[in-house]
Amino acid sequence: MDIPRLLIVFSTLAFLGGVAHAMVALRAGKWQESRWHLLPMAVGFVFQSAFLYLRGQQHGRCPLTNLFEAFIFIGWCIVLLYFLVGATYRLSLLGVFTAPMVALLQITSLLSSIDQAAPAPRQKINPWLEFHAAVALIAYAAFALACITGVMFLLQDRLLKKHRINALFHQLPPIHDLSKAIVRMVFVGVVLLSLAMTASFRINKPITSGKMLVAWIVLALYIVIALLMWRRSLSARQTAWLAVLGFTIPILSMWIVTAKL
Amino acid sequence: MLLCLGVNHRTTPIELRERLAFAESMLPEAAQQIKTLPGFEESVVISTCNRVEIYGAHRNEKSEDSFNLLQAHLAEHFALEPAQREALTSYHLSERDAARHLFRVVSGLDSMVLGETEIFGQVKAAYDSALKAGATGRDLNKLFQRAFSVGKLVRNQTTIQRGSTSVGSVAVELAEKIFGHLRDSRVLLIGAGEMSRACAQSLLSRGAKSIFISNRSHDRAVELAKEMNGEALHFDDWEKAVHDVDIVISSTSAPHFVVTPDLIEPVMNRRRGHPLFIIDIAVPRDVDPAVNDIGDVYLYDVDSLQAIADEGRRERERALAKCEEIIEEQLRKFGYTEHSPPSPLVLTHLPPQPLNLEP
Repeated sequence: MDIPRLLIVFSTLAFLGGVAHAMVALRAGKWQESRWHLLPMAVGFVFQSAFLYLRGQQHGRCPLTNLFEAFIFIGWCIVLLYFLVGATYRLSLLGVFTAPMVALLQITSLLSSIDQAAPAPRQKINPWLEFHAAVALIAYAAFALACITGVMFLLQDRLLKKHRINALFHQLPPIHDLSKAIVRMVFVGVVLLSLAMTASFRINKPITSGKMLVAWIVLALYIVIALLMWRRSLSARQTAWLAVLGFTIPILSMWIVTAKL
Repeated sequence: MLLCLGVNHRTTPIELRERLAFAESMLPEAAQQIKTLPGFEESVVISTCNRVEIYGAHRNEKSEDSFNLLQAHLAEHFALEPAQREALTSYHLSERDAARHLFRVVSGLDSMVLGETEIFGQVKAAYDSALKAGATGRDLNKLFQRAFSVGKLVRNQTTIQRGSTSVGSVAVELAEKIFGHLRDSRVLLIGAGEMSRACAQSLLSRGAKSIFISNRSHDRAVELAKEMNGEALHFDDWEKAVHDVDIVISSTSAPHFVVTPDLIEPVMNRRRGHPLFIIDIAVPRDVDPAVNDIGDVYLYDVDSLQAIADEGRRERERALAKCEEIIEEQLRKFGYTEHSPPSPLVLTHLPPQPLNLEP
């Protein structure tokens, strides 16, 4: 195994370690908010960053040359957004829900044969293409966080409906806050993806029409979701389901869009 | 030597406790007065609705002498009548037992509601006032600083303060888990029963924005609205108000469901994803259980609230052993290395004759 892939193994182990610790603590009813919960996330993030740096050096460009790198980049963006979302979220259970998603993403990437050999380094880097790809993936990370927050909402909603006041209930944030966070994340994602798609007009090298169509469909669907949320036509629970199920769209689209970046 | 003399809700009836209570503004002076008793070097006086405790550091050869002096000082200070003197029993704790008791008090283990946190602030305020009055010294400073660390440790490492233990506090906790905070929440009270009133009071005390009260007897609604600084509604109008509130507390004596899915569904359609918390205190129930199936509606009846409160109490009791372990470990770290298991409080009566307090 080459060093970059080994770094992703270490990163995945760090995230899984954080999840295991949190699960044991939650089951025992001993989970407590602590800055120490940031440690596995920070360690995993450092390994992800090292991987991206090494691959970036190797390719001489943004390391988004295949689906493996794209997934790792999305995972890196998810953790980055998690750190940026704010102290309240960071110290709450969001990390516990973020870590397994990133770990799953990385395990799937490691086990499947999607880490194809990169094309030869380009003579000339197209900054608009790099910008388009990177910002689009950060947008996907925002949709991923909306999905994670949606899962948290649905769990808390179920606990409240079923009157199950247990350790998890005490640790999950208020349902109204989760609902607002979902909407905010989807809006952030839509703004970023719109930016990325706008940048695609400046790319000189033509992108295949299939790829562009898929990317525009993803944006259009998320604009519809954002509009539904903005108009508050749905119940909070329906909004959460939309954020959770909606994330399958960018994930599925990844195979098509990253076929040859 | 450290000592603690005290009375609390378990040892002394309220009639006598209120007689012995020190006003907050008098705490520094009381601590200073005790410091001037023969042999006493330091003192802190804690006075809350559930306890009056005096912590002291003294250099008398026999602790019993110091306890007698303190007890007689209290009797004289509060000018207790003979019958009250006779009825007054207090607990006397020295050294390790006094330190252990303070650690337990600060951690909420000696409180009426196990694990409550208000006592921490009350002890801290009492200590601060004694410190500012110059009534404390090396021994009590060390003891109280350690006690505050122990209190934090117990809170952070156990679940002693998790969950709610009364119907009112469960309602508040659930409301906060739904809305985040209550400062924008409006409450509608349908019916004016005692328990629903207590629930509404709990919500208001946590910052609920406003309250509407609707009762079959409008005069009663007006009276209660005045008392709770709310707004009275005619009983026929409460259905219109549901749309504008966040929390509904229902406690009518109606023999049938008053709040039904037919009423709530259109309301929720207009609320655009804003949750509605319904508390049904009435027996027979006022709210059709099917209302809980509507999206963003959270319905709790009195049994479910009570069950949560009972579970909260059980959880705190389960955490008690771990709290005691932490306290024993901290006592060892504080310097009480010899093994001495906690003993039950022994109550002591005042001596029959007043003591001569003159040095």
